[in-house]
Amino acid sequence: MNGYEILSIDDLDRYPGSNDDAPVMLPLRRRLGFRPFGLNCWAAQRVGGHVIQRHFERDGDEELYVVVRGRATFTLGEETFDAPAGTLVHAPPGTLREAVAAEDGTVVLAAGAKPGEAFDPAPWEEFAIAYSRARSGEVDAARAAVTDVLERYPDTWQGEYNAACFEALYGDGDTAFAHLRRAHRLAPKDVAQFAEGDDDLAALRGDRRWQELFS
Amino acid sequence: MSVRHVDELDRIEMEDGFVWRPIRRAFDIRAFGVNAYTALEAGSQIVEEHTESNLGHEEIYLVLRGRARFTVDGNEHELAPGQLVFLRDPALKRGAIALDDDTVVLALGGKPGEPFTVSAWEAMFAAVPAAREEHWDEAIRIHEEALAEQPEHAALLYNLACMEARGGRRLDALLHLQRAVELDPKWAEHARADSDFASIRGEPGFPA
Repeated sequence: MNGYEILSIDDLDRYPGSNDDAPVMLPLRRRLGFRPFGLNCWAAQRVGGHVIQRHFERDGDEELYVVVRGRATFTLGEETFDAPAGTLVHAPPGTLREAVAAEDGTVVLAAGAKPGEAFDPAPWEEFAIAYSRARSGEVDAARAAVTDVLERYPDTWQGEYNAACFEALYGDGDTAFAHLRRAHRLAPKDVAQFAEGDDDLAALRGDRRWQELFS
Repeated sequence: MSVRHVDELDRIEMEDGFVWRPIRRAFDIRAFGVNAYTALEAGSQIVEEHTESNLGHEEIYLVLRGRARFTVDGNEHELAPGQLVFLRDPALKRGAIALDDDTVVLALGGKPGEPFTVSAWEAMFAAVPAAREEHWDEAIRIHEEALAEQPEHAALLYNLACMEARGGRRLDALLHLQRAVELDPKWAEHARADSDFASIRGEPGFPA
């Protein structure tokens, strides 16, 4: 449409997480091509399942969550509270936040960006979508998306690390180790810390190359 | 305060009928623009008719509750809860009328490619209740707070001068008006016809 677009959140693609407790991502910013800041909708796969994954935004993103539909139980820091539709939850960087759906059909809008910086979309959205597509059997399309993200975000450890996880789950060990080595070269401490407990990399852990990399 | 329901936000009734429910200001969000709007009743304005040409913002309006009829670039669209309009082009004229009494619209916006800065209109809107009650000290304080972050903002300086003139601070009003006109000469023309400046219009140095 000319300079504007009308859309329903029901029109958004839905990308379920790795198990029935994990949220469903409904990419909004990406769908619209909205550029000023990050914006996504999230749903749960079942009542009691996560609608917002437990996380901290330690890289400095300030976030606002808006309960658009249904009802969620939010945790912010050490406080847990009921959040019916219309509730606004502001989460400064580094604060623990998570939410589970208290009703069927709950949708939460999440807006976020770093104060004082021009927004640049992070590659995690593309990886989340690629993983979801791979889980639903579209492995080749998902791998093409991963390759595309790496080309668009070269030399970021997060990109290489996620590509390693993807290959460990859906590809071959040689390619996975190649990505993991590149990630490790870019950020040895971060990669060692994340890799230690990451289930996605379980298939690589018994390999001698794992010991060589992290010993 | 990190949690609030939209119905608990401040209600700031504007002259043409819409009610500003400040979200960014309530949480002091520094990374993006976000507000809610309600209407006095069904049939009233809920989103003021405007463009974003001055700010260059992309905007999204999402209906959270009730229904609203948006007019965008002359085209009408009736939106229900969960529907949104994304305005990529800042020059498009946009506005909306509430179709239900309890309609709530969430507005999100910012300028692509630049760090977010708080828009000056927020302070001007926030000062409306104080100005309406002729609590000039409070209206002045709100403007001074915004000017501490954007000291060279001509529109804010002009508005501050209005409040000061109405509040009897004639010298401050004159100085701030002069500075606003230095930064942007168009404010001289506004000042000549602005009743807020009745008390200082005859002073030497009033922008002619």
